[in-house]
Amino acid sequence: MLASQLMDLRSTLHTQGVIFTYSGYVTEPVLSGVGEALKQKLAIDDADTKTLRSVFAIFVEQMQNIIRYSAEKTETPLPPTGYPKALREMRYGILTIGKEGEDYVVCAGNLVQRADVPRLHARLDRIKEMNKEELKALYKEQLRAEPEKGSKGAGLGFMEIARRASKPIEFDFNDLDDDYAFFALKATI
Amino acid sequence: MIEKLDIEATPRTPAVAFDFANHHLKISGESYPEDVTEFYGPVFIALDNYLKKIGKNKCRFDFELIYLNSSSAKAIMMVMDKLEDAAKNGATVEVYWYYDHEDDTMQELGEEFGEDLESAKFHLEKMAG
Repeated sequence: MLASQLMDLRSTLHTQGVIFTYSGYVTEPVLSGVGEALKQKLAIDDADTKTLRSVFAIFVEQMQNIIRYSAEKTETPLPPTGYPKALREMRYGILTIGKEGEDYVVCAGNLVQRADVPRLHARLDRIKEMNKEELKALYKEQLRAEPEKGSKGAGLGFMEIARRASKPIEFDFNDLDDDYAFFALKATI
Repeated sequence: MIEKLDIEATPRTPAVAFDFANHHLKISGESYPEDVTEFYGPVFIALDNYLKKIGKNKCRFDFELIYLNSSSAKAIMMVMDKLEDAAKNGATVEVYWYYDHEDDTMQELGEEFGEDLESAKFHLEKMAG
């Protein structure tokens, strides 16, 4: 029973071409560890340098998006003094890296507030339609701009993903309840 | 004034070798730190202190970056701005951006930074090997 349950899960992933899966609370050390394993796997696959760097870059942006923005989180109510900041709060998400034919795909999913969906949707729609030149121009503009309210990074993550991807990004939202939606983003390299 | 700033590379942060006495500054490696401000904060302070007193001296800054994430790109842009300001104020600043010839994203990023430099002189070079 136990073996067949886990094997089912594994074969579901396997038939979708998934090589790596992480589902759970994502922390920076998780990013480092999975990232190292990913680099090794890509080296074993003999991926060319450009592919290796692009898959890795997209993986980092996707992981950091979960760490910073997933709406599903657990918080330690009263952290002891000197407790590392990053451990006070952990955010939940799922990330897969796999292959579709010759392409690598990096997918990430996490909860978002439904109130944020229209803004995210508009931003991603805009990025998705852009060609490489337009993306380059927008990236440069954003690099100089003040980060958007609520942003914890440079506001460049989605653009970096789109620039590194070899096909237009794909994304989707699934309403969960009145407050939350599940957000999924796929990048192909 | 401090003579140099040396920070060893880690898997997620670049090596910083600022040889202020010889006016040769260099950042090399990979940059995707957990907290960009925490890593680049002290680098900015040391750089600001140096550039404040640079006057009409000549300085060279080498970027040899393999990979940087999007929040690090913002930090690198701020370094470029500081160098450009120093050059505007009379220093001779040579900026070298080395890129892996197999990674055109890093080449393009270098070009983008270079476009914004007017007083500082920008050089785009392939990494050796």
